[in-house]
Amino acid sequence: MKQTKWLSLLLSTGLLLAATACGSSNNTNSNGENASTAAPASAEATAAPGTSENAAKPELKSLNLWSKDDYNTYPLAKVIEERTGYKVKYEMLPADKAMDKLNLLISSAEPYDVITISGEKAVYTDYAKMGALVDLTPLIEEFGDNIKASISQASFDAMKIDGKIYGIPNSSSQFAGADLMIRQDWLDKLGLKTPTTLEEFTEVLKAFKEKDPGGTGNSGAPMSIDGALATTANITGAFGIGTSWNTVDGQLVPAPLHPGFKEYLTYMSDLYKQGLLDKEFAVNKDATLKEKFTSGKIGVIQLPWYDIPGIADALTKNFPDAKYAYLPALKGKDGQMGLGMSGGFDRITFIPKSAKHPEDAIKWINAKLEKETFKLIAIGEEGKHHTYKDGVYSPILPLFTDERGNASNYLTGIDEKLYPIYWQARVQKDARLFAGFSYLNNELPAEARIADPLALAPSLPEYSKNNASLNQMINDFAVKVIVGEESPDAVADFAGKYKAAGGEASTKEVNDWYATVKK
Amino acid sequence: MTKRTKGDRLLDIFVYLFLIVLGVMMLLPLVNVLSKSVSEEWAITSGKVGILPVGFQLDTLREVISSSMFIRAFCVSVGVTVVGTLISILMTALTAYPLSKRNLPGISFFMVLFIFTMLFSGGLIPNYLLMRQLHLINNLWVLILPGMISVFNMLVIKSYYESLPEALEESARIDGAKTYTILFRIILPLSMPVIATIALFYAVGYWNDYFGPMIYINDTALKTLQLYLQDVVMDASAANAVNKSVDDLMNMSPEGIRAATVVASTVPILFVYPFLQKYFIKGVLIGSVKG
Repeated sequence: MKQTKWLSLLLSTGLLLAATACGSSNNTNSNGENASTAAPASAEATAAPGTSENAAKPELKSLNLWSKDDYNTYPLAKVIEERTGYKVKYEMLPADKAMDKLNLLISSAEPYDVITISGEKAVYTDYAKMGALVDLTPLIEEFGDNIKASISQASFDAMKIDGKIYGIPNSSSQFAGADLMIRQDWLDKLGLKTPTTLEEFTEVLKAFKEKDPGGTGNSGAPMSIDGALATTANITGAFGIGTSWNTVDGQLVPAPLHPGFKEYLTYMSDLYKQGLLDKEFAVNKDATLKEKFTSGKIGVIQLPWYDIPGIADALTKNFPDAKYAYLPALKGKDGQMGLGMSGGFDRITFIPKSAKHPEDAIKWINAKLEKETFKLIAIGEEGKHHTYKDGVYSPILPLFTDERGNASNYLTGIDEKLYPIYWQARVQKDARLFAGFSYLNNELPAEARIADPLALAPSLPEYSKNNASLNQMINDFAVKVIVGEESPDAVADFAGKYKAAGGEASTKEVNDWYATVKK
Repeated sequence: MTKRTKGDRLLDIFVYLFLIVLGVMMLLPLVNVLSKSVSEEWAITSGKVGILPVGFQLDTLREVISSSMFIRAFCVSVGVTVVGTLISILMTALTAYPLSKRNLPGISFFMVLFIFTMLFSGGLIPNYLLMRQLHLINNLWVLILPGMISVFNMLVIKSYYESLPEALEESARIDGAKTYTILFRIILPLSMPVIATIALFYAVGYWNDYFGPMIYINDTALKTLQLYLQDVVMDASAANAVNKSVDDLMNMSPEGIRAATVVASTVPILFVYPFLQKYFIKGVLIGSVKG
């Protein structure tokens, strides 16, 4: 009996310890829990008098993508509330399997007033066709003067489903995202000039292999790529397949059906055979690739400009004399070249049928697009968050990052003329990042960039259904050919499989649409 | 004790070596994450961090721990774990007691009801709709109430009760004890070893639960630590990067932050283990002496 008493004492101290382990936080939590149990009731209770006092401005509920900062406490929430007069409760989707969760919320008719998701049109199209979304066409007509003034007809057209607009898009700024990055100090050491054609590029790789300017011995390779991105930026451009769809005789042709595809694969597998391309590239992940480059094992990698700061930090720490540079668009044998550009939409905002205040939601969106308000949301106040000189907005750090770094998460529709200019302030938050962006998008001549022809395409059901799996197919095949498991001659066979797997239907659909806009 | 042969000792050495190697293999990934959380970002990018940290610093950990979302999620998790474990263990012990009395009328019918829930469930969407009807969406009780009693744990406790000698209860009854006195003064104290084990199961289960909060909790203020951790880690995965806009990509957390979040949310429950475990081992010893 004595022992059992002692035992229960131990148990209770154990529990006490567990309880006090979070000391004050446990307190706040039990409060939080009380609050939460009471939340449904109290929320309704506060909402009810709120609506009677101020009938015009109910509290809105907004669902957004995941962000590492809480939407409700990030400084911008307050700014938007003050400017629009609407109190908004933000909730966010999980980072992983966000669309599964969204399906659950939509099918159980959760009363969100505004939902903003990524710019991938397939999900949006599905919901619109299912009848889960409010037709915004009449609402925009009635309450959306700023919306109409900010968003172009082309963007609205891309949102149209059966002639009706169900969503408000944030169109992406169009820019070249990735290029090949080379160790400039290796070039200098060997007295080589920056290559401008594919042939010169191959020579540079050969020199890297023979003379080993990095002193890697046998552990490195002149060039490496990510195993999941076997269609390498810049090099594909030299074969006329700079984006996933390229024009041949006025028709849009996907990469596997393009004559350049086979030539590209022949070239790459040749590099692989000669040992100019990393033998292990097929298993490279993004992190491995960066690891190899920054530890001085690789001379050339494909890198998007937004990854430059991290790479630059690590590289200069490891090799204080290291220099890196982007390559210009390499010319192929008949002068073809180009870096693929991104396009389309960053976000799509829509109003579900289950919304309690669809009109107010549109009014809120409209108020956010009022010229001054929009600028305030996007880049803050002049002199406090940014400076303005010669048509260029530059951020004032660190306040810009602290209070506007997340601004893109709050945008529901953008001023399509001004936002690309505002947006560059965001790119300027790091000088190295901006240098990379600027080289690709301002310094290189315009013909070095190839726009994505599908950027503003309307929702194409066949295309969106098959796109992901087809891209995976292309990548898998490309890797196989490059490592020599299949010969480049297998392209003809592969084209057949590609067509059968939905490629033909997609091609037809894409070209039917393309014929209507080309003229 | 019989004398041990050379072969026995050799086998012992071999077994110990094998277990040590196995243990180290399991520990290494954890050590790697721990080192990453205190290393400088450039060293992580260039793959220099293995077992030992490179460029030791605590800023990353400090940044993670001081983030308001982390603190809130941490407290939600601790609260749910403590409250949930207490309620669960109490209710499970109470449910198991009558079920351990085989001579009570209709006991097999109730057993079938319990076993039935082990085999069949309504599925995700009906469950979600039910919780919504009960106004439990976005309410922390949803993490505790639906799974309050795990039938499996209840059966474990029940069979422990059944192993206790009948004579104990009879003698207590002769001394004038009523049912509740018997349960709380005799049966439960004697069952402490199993109660401690089940409490550990519950506590770890509540702490690690991620599916429940993911489905039922939308309110950012009520997210649990595991949910927050999942978000931070999965945000950077390649599959989720496909649909990201450039702004999202520019804002992505570096690897160091992710490692630090993993460390900061794993360490607390590691501290709970030795407390409960120590107690659990003692409990077994006492129980065996008594038995």
